[in-house]
Amino acid sequence: MTNHWIDLKNSDCILIMGSNAAANHPISMKWVQKAKDNGGILISVDPRYTQTSTKADIYAPLRSGTDIPFLGGMIKYILDNEKYFKDYVVNYTNASFIVGSKFDFQDGLFAGYDPKTRSYDKTFWAFEREQDGRVKRDDTLQDARCVYQLLKKHYSRYTPELVSSITGTPVPDLLKVYEAYASTGTKDKAGTIMYAMGWTQHTVGVQNIRTMCMIQLLLGNMGIAGGGVNALRGEANVQGSTDQGLLFHILPGYLAYPRANQANMEAYLKAITPKTAEPMSANWPQNLPKYFVSLMKTFWGDKATKENDFGYGWLPKLDAGQNCSWLNLFDAMYEGSIKGFFAWGQNPACSGANAHKVRQALGKLDWLVNLNIFDNETGSFWKGPGIDPKKIKTEVFMLPCAASVEKEGSISNSGRWAQWRYKAVDASGMAKPDGDILVELFDKIRALYKKDGKFPEPILNLKWDYVDAKGHFDPHNVAKEINGYFLKDVKIGETEYKKGTPVPGFALLQADGSTSSGNWIYSQSYNAAGNNMARRKKDDPTGLGLYPEWSWAWPVNRRIIYNRASTDLNGQPWNPKRALLKWEEGKEVDGKKQPGKWVGDVPDGPWPPMSDTKAGRYPFIMKPDGLASIFGPGLADGPFPEHYEPLECPVPKNQMSNQFTNPTIKIFAGAMDKHLTCDPRFPFVGTTYRVTEHWQTGIMTRWQPWLIEAQPQMFVEMSEELAKLRGIKNGEKVKVSSVRGELEAVAIVTTRFRPFKIGDVTVHEVGMPWCFGWMTPKNGGESVNLLTPNVGDPNTMIPESKAFMVNVTKMEGGA
Amino acid sequence: MTVSRREFLVISGVAGAGLALSSLGIDMGPVKAYAQELKKIDKMKSAKQSTTICPYCAVGCGLICSTDTKAKKIINIEGDPDHPINEGALCAKGASLFQTTSNNPDRLKKVLYRAPGSDKWQEKSWEWALGEIAKRVKATRDGNFIEKNAKGETVNRVEAIAHIGSAALDNEELWPLQAMMRALGLVYIEHQARI
Amino acid sequence: MSEGYSILVDTSKCTACRGCQIACKQWNGLPGTQTKNEGTYENPVDLSADTWKILRYSEGTVPSGAPFWYFFSEQCRHCLSPGCMAESEKGEIVQDEKTGAVIFTPKTKSLNYDATREGCPYDIPRQNPKTKELFKCTMCFDRITNNMIPACVKSCPTGAMVFGERPEILETAKARVQELSKKYPNAKAINPDEVRVIYIVTDDPKKYWKFAAGK
Repeated sequence: MTNHWIDLKNSDCILIMGSNAAANHPISMKWVQKAKDNGGILISVDPRYTQTSTKADIYAPLRSGTDIPFLGGMIKYILDNEKYFKDYVVNYTNASFIVGSKFDFQDGLFAGYDPKTRSYDKTFWAFEREQDGRVKRDDTLQDARCVYQLLKKHYSRYTPELVSSITGTPVPDLLKVYEAYASTGTKDKAGTIMYAMGWTQHTVGVQNIRTMCMIQLLLGNMGIAGGGVNALRGEANVQGSTDQGLLFHILPGYLAYPRANQANMEAYLKAITPKTAEPMSANWPQNLPKYFVSLMKTFWGDKATKENDFGYGWLPKLDAGQNCSWLNLFDAMYEGSIKGFFAWGQNPACSGANAHKVRQALGKLDWLVNLNIFDNETGSFWKGPGIDPKKIKTEVFMLPCAASVEKEGSISNSGRWAQWRYKAVDASGMAKPDGDILVELFDKIRALYKKDGKFPEPILNLKWDYVDAKGHFDPHNVAKEINGYFLKDVKIGETEYKKGTPVPGFALLQADGSTSSGNWIYSQSYNAAGNNMARRKKDDPTGLGLYPEWSWAWPVNRRIIYNRASTDLNGQPWNPKRALLKWEEGKEVDGKKQPGKWVGDVPDGPWPPMSDTKAGRYPFIMKPDGLASIFGPGLADGPFPEHYEPLECPVPKNQMSNQFTNPTIKIFAGAMDKHLTCDPRFPFVGTTYRVTEHWQTGIMTRWQPWLIEAQPQMFVEMSEELAKLRGIKNGEKVKVSSVRGELEAVAIVTTRFRPFKIGDVTVHEVGMPWCFGWMTPKNGGESVNLLTPNVGDPNTMIPESKAFMVNVTKMEGGA
Repeated sequence: MTVSRREFLVISGVAGAGLALSSLGIDMGPVKAYAQELKKIDKMKSAKQSTTICPYCAVGCGLICSTDTKAKKIINIEGDPDHPINEGALCAKGASLFQTTSNNPDRLKKVLYRAPGSDKWQEKSWEWALGEIAKRVKATRDGNFIEKNAKGETVNRVEAIAHIGSAALDNEELWPLQAMMRALGLVYIEHQARI
Repeated sequence: MSEGYSILVDTSKCTACRGCQIACKQWNGLPGTQTKNEGTYENPVDLSADTWKILRYSEGTVPSGAPFWYFFSEQCRHCLSPGCMAESEKGEIVQDEKTGAVIFTPKTKSLNYDATREGCPYDIPRQNPKTKELFKCTMCFDRITNNMIPACVKSCPTGAMVFGERPEILETAKARVQELSKKYPNAKAINPDEVRVIYIVTDDPKKYWKFAAGK
């Protein structure tokens, strides 16, 4: 979230699309309701009429996988009707940038496409630059090659009629949504988006979200109270686990993971540190070398020295272009190249797309370590349905963990608040906190390497002193290391900092090895003021619900990021009634003018506003050019989002172009990687979602009598029309199948799903929750991921679990 | 960390501000006998209170655990009315957090091992299990270590061991976890954010 | 003289998160029962000695053809003149003077179950088949007499449930109905003068739950 949960109350128009917030983030509706109580409008766009839809002022259905046409039509509406916020667009976005003459778009493909590699040469999308390196601009937005004009041309094709014939949304519903949302393109209105996996789990997932980002920029909704682009993250600490770099492509703090062609630290830092020729761009990422060196100091402690490149050589390197993400990981496991596997607090046997392949892959391992608080389909895969334990050679270690109330530490919510949890009781039985388990395990591994072993340096040199006096894992110790320390006595400006004291925040981190910080974006979380994540003060000076002294938010306790964009060029709030930030000129003291300052939220940097053409800075400080990207030349699949059909879809043709599916997706081609489109055997669109009562694969909730009582069994929701077509009665067991697998489910025949009119074809869609699995409860049913395809977004490799093709039939012999 | 008694009192869900509860502490009349049978409320008065944050979705709602200090058992978990996000409210999952604690007999309480080809678990000690895992990590790592790639560039990585997890861990556990996996040379490091 | 408490259940704000249904079980230590999916999210299918609060779901289409999906968080209404008490002669069922809570005591084992249930216009009382004791919502009597609000109300995120002094609740209900009437001509509070648990609906109560406004 660029904003945070409470801030939803400040919105004039909330679009919930790609999310059923009422069911999956129920407490968010507290703040949505507050916005409604204040006269705000709620819009729900979803293939199914959901709990969220019941509270909406406007509901519009759409066929799964057609969000880009829906939103592309909104861009056209905003431009045609001049609903955009012009001052914001011209000054704070790259709408005025001139795109180079090599850029082109023809029949669904952007310039630079290579069909052999299924990828683009992105140099074709580069901006034109002045001799001094600055991007050429036309602030009148008239130049035919400026971003604004290219945008207008691109989305001129997304007419309401064509959009409607792709999405199945009736034209009047489209226009109702467009009109309501576009009304926030004024300086006194705020519109916000709440989205979740309904947008990410597509082969165009990232571009779904980018389309909305572009809308938010056009309407001037980024950086303001009640605005922003808000990803509703689905796990208590999925924000934190991403922040801490538990992904193949990033180190803690989103530092790009080192590649083999970056032979030393200098080459690596050169590659990751952006430069800018724009004097008014803060280009904050120019500081990345400070953050990387400080990170290495936390990794290796005193062993990291200038002479040894701060231990850069001890980090394993990926090949250039190597992708070790989830789908590739399980593909490698299935192919037999992965021998050992840690499934730490995870249940991939149910959570992985094309779960049959995942389950087969687990059987090819030599050993599997599964850690959890309950037994699950992964740790016990060897006794799952259709599997003969005698034939499974995999050794399995199942380690019992402490539950959330049985240990102490912080987790980071979707609004980037790191909040401290306390231990209430000791762990159940032999269970231990994960922290203790990992410390003890690594101690044992390290003991082995003290004797001998391949490349032992990183194992022996890793700083590993995270225990208290009694030898137990100490979360406070780690939290302080994540915050960072001064490692020498240093004087910065007028202030002296002693060796061993915590760094106040990341602005003081250094690239010379004199500071450490395990994660620069968490620097300030636990400093001389104490454990800021544990704070419980409820002052709200802005009245906007920022609660700056409740817990702590990254970065530097900024509650709404890009907040400099909430003010005009003079630093005065666009909307004084919701003043998030305000520049106050310095007073004169003894005839001398004092420096001015920002008041309100923690600003995106201390510089004066843009009207100060010397010291002022552009608002989007993480972008090299300082302005937000309406034209985004960095993604794999194009600088403007374009509609492509899902890999499996119900229509024979993409009505937008002759490019049927996303041209840059990776298509696996092994024996278990099946997919089918427009096949009469699988005529219905299938989609997946969650229910309030269960969480993820149900690994925790299916063991709880109160929750399993409320949602006991796998179901499939379908329209009355489809039920009639198949002769299915409400409440009877049916078979749902895709080319990858099949399962049994209870039919819920409902008016909340309606058939879509796609051109002159009727398309049926059905939906299933993904919280069930064979282990428990008895007769609970199987995981929907037996049906989902293992194909991912080209940027993130998140699987297309939201749009695939299925069949639904009556069970032989009835219910 | 302590939560003041005030914090546990009525805050959310009340119509109007400053509601005075008229029946507080006065004679309960004919139902007094019945009320005395309700033991939980009395236990709550002497229970230790500690705050926590919900382990499910990422809204980050606050809860208060009440622990019977004698029995060392959690007797109640409900919303934290002082928490600015949820103000005491909880959804079905949050309201059920009590059943993730040791009150749930299905919690995993033992270290288990399943041998190749076996159809059952064996109970083991931590010492044995972690020692055996360490040995397997070392054997797999050393047997499959990649020093250089096809281009001859130094990579010093291990592709034969993979790790996924976890958004269920605390930040302070995650940091050393990624450090340990990277020190071992792993590159297949993933978690729930990818699904 | 106090008029006791009331609970407002504003169905127009309910999102069916079922925090209330579970919070009731949690606080009162009621077990989860065996259920199966019967073609609806509604579960358990009925109130019982182990379930004092259920979210009722109902759906269909409005005349324009658009779908509706109503949520009705069902519980004892704590009537001002409780019909269930007609059978109670020896204090089996009591009505607390101060709070207005209607309480089934363990002595309800000796009551005629069918008659007691029949006496309730909202079909709330249920019997434990083994002990024969009758059960239902207590208005969290133990909590409300100890400075805590009912568990279900506390769990509610959107303000769909509100607890307070009866006059204030009646006022809140009136204002809310007035507000809702602008958009929903059928908006109303159900039997506010007869019950302490007052439901606000925006459509015919029968469309929410067959006994929403009484049998």
